Amino acid sequence: MPIRKYIPFGLQENTEHLLDIGRTIVEVDDIDVVLQTILEECVRVCNGTRGFLAIIDHDRGSMNVKYVTGPGWADDTKCALINVSEETGKGITGRVAATAESYMCNDTSKDPYYVELFDDVRSEMAVPLSDDVRTRGVLSIASTSENAFKSAHEYVVRNLCDMATTAMTLADYRRRERAIVRIGGELTGITERTEIIEKVLQITAEVLQFEDCSVFLADKDKKKLSLVASQGTMRDFVGRAEYEFGHGLTGCVAKDKKPLRLRYPHLDPRWSGWHGGMEPERISAFLAVPIFDRTGVAGVIRLQREQSKYPWFSNSYTAEDEKILTAVADRLGTALDNSALLDKLIESERMAAWGELSARSAHMIGNRVFAIKGDINEIEYVLGEENPDKEELNEILAGAKRGIFLLEEILNEFRMFVKADKVDKTRLDIGALLKETLGEFFGKRSGVKTSAEVPEEPVMISGDATKLKRVISELLENATNFLPADGEIKVTLTDGLGRDTARKPKKKVRAADYVRIRIADNGCGVREEDKENIFNPFFTSRAKGMGLGLPIVKGVIEAHDGVVYEDGKEGEGAVFNILLPK
Amino acid sequence: MARILLVDDEEAVRNAVARRLKRNGYDITKKASQAEGIEEVNSVETPYDVVVTDMVMETPDSGLEVLKAALTRDVFTEVIVLTAYGNVANAVECMRRGAFDYVEKNVPGVDVFELLDAKVKQAMERRQSSVSGIRRIERYMK
Repeated sequence: MPIRKYIPFGLQENTEHLLDIGRTIVEVDDIDVVLQTILEECVRVCNGTRGFLAIIDHDRGSMNVKYVTGPGWADDTKCALINVSEETGKGITGRVAATAESYMCNDTSKDPYYVELFDDVRSEMAVPLSDDVRTRGVLSIASTSENAFKSAHEYVVRNLCDMATTAMTLADYRRRERAIVRIGGELTGITERTEIIEKVLQITAEVLQFEDCSVFLADKDKKKLSLVASQGTMRDFVGRAEYEFGHGLTGCVAKDKKPLRLRYPHLDPRWSGWHGGMEPERISAFLAVPIFDRTGVAGVIRLQREQSKYPWFSNSYTAEDEKILTAVADRLGTALDNSALLDKLIESERMAAWGELSARSAHMIGNRVFAIKGDINEIEYVLGEENPDKEELNEILAGAKRGIFLLEEILNEFRMFVKADKVDKTRLDIGALLKETLGEFFGKRSGVKTSAEVPEEPVMISGDATKLKRVISELLENATNFLPADGEIKVTLTDGLGRDTARKPKKKVRAADYVRIRIADNGCGVREEDKENIFNPFFTSRAKGMGLGLPIVKGVIEAHDGVVYEDGKEGEGAVFNILLPK
Repeated sequence: MARILLVDDEEAVRNAVARRLKRNGYDITKKASQAEGIEEVNSVETPYDVVVTDMVMETPDSGLEVLKAALTRDVFTEVIVLTAYGNVANAVECMRRGAFDYVEKNVPGVDVFELLDAKVKQAMERRQSSVSGIRRIERYMK
């Protein structure tokens, strides 16, 4: 094995496990297991007594002892916080973290940096875990003998620490990769633009460091960027901050269609000024990438970092960070594209529905007008006779009036359908409203058995009284139309949804914050194959009506953030359920 | 007395048309759907002289189906198709398939009932001339 050539003489028998470490890094997904293994291997190779690995928290400027090995570790020393400092008397580990250079102490009693953690330690060696950009941690080995460590030990430990750094970088990649995959997955289900952007910001925060992450979207003409969302210091400027294409660093990213990664962005000649958020001098790192959709540049996603309080830590963005943000921007662009397509689809469906609505109403109105014209023709004819028959005239007139009434009904239905989603909410007692509607409805029609189960105490909800009344009447009307001779309609109001949350509205509201109105009849019920269509416009099993009754119900209930569905059994009667938030 | 079958799914329309045509002494039978209309065409003992049918009932071309049934039963039956707004294309298709004519229900400024009455009269005349023509041919062939 060629690697043995590079292992200093005298250590070979101790380094047999070195190759296994390499395999562990690649094969084991759990970074904790990998780092613990490396730590133990280092201590073993150096014949150390104990050892620990501390990980640097770049934001807080301190280190946490995260992995330990050897005897005597108490819980409090295990999680000890170590300061990062070059000063003497502040600890060897802290010095190594600050300088990113290994340190060997073979007599602790004479060392200016040494700080005692265990009283039996005579030698200590600490090696940094550093990549090209920053120091990520320090591995420290202690021995109870003096002069325990030689440069050959340091050489092997440094190699193992490089492996540990690689493992940490790999773990970061894996974490980021998972996050990127997750963005794709989680964005698929979301269609609201604002929700998409919020989700992207949230996931970006998990994988990239920033004091501010802002999303700017371009206007239609691709001339101006506006801040639409921010996580961080720009949050208060959403809707206010704007850049023209080509102006300012952010505007340049949009115009040049290229990412921009800078240190101290306010020193760049393209810097156009400050929109708020962090003080310009304090912004030490800047990373912005364009968001593309089908139309070209759709916007810019931008990260900014504040100057670190700890000068020994670099907090610049790396080429790797840029790749990650570009991947995020790609996902965001795709999601925005999809959402725009969906908007278009909904719009074209809406237009098609309008076309259908116009054709239907033209047909129905045309028919009614035709019949009324017939009545007028007849009235003219009768009036032209020598002795017009008054009774006959009255009869024809009644027919014409009926025709006009039907016309008005169509117009009314039309209007209700169009305005179903415009609700004017007030606090109202839904129980009282239900009883009132039932009274008015069945006052006009006797012969139908009804029963109402409504709680005695008021059940208050926010709703549009007129529209909700119309909805209940519509469902009662619907039930009555399909009722047999001995028909019965049962209306129940329950406060809260109880255990039945199968149809709970998507919004995250507790079941107890809903009321349920159930309208059940013992008519023929809804045919199984019709169930999914009954709330679609123009689906009607009756010749009369435009088939807008149930769509109106659905529109009004959805405008209340509620849900309406039918769950009766065919042949046993229809059961309509309305769930309304309080 | 001429016999007319009237097919329309709107009661008000059926009543108004029937009333107007009755003034001329026609014998009117009313049916409320394509299915009922076709059933009547097939089961009636003597075929109708004229069938007046709405175009759009169960389907957008219900009138076409009634027309087919009527002509299959008796090729001399004259069919007039009533159309509401925007169904001229279908009505033209009816003409191609042998309807006597079509009447649009809503023509601004026109008393469509008078128009329909005139069409029915013309249809009766054509039917009579066709039938008498056939009789002559039959007599000649004997």
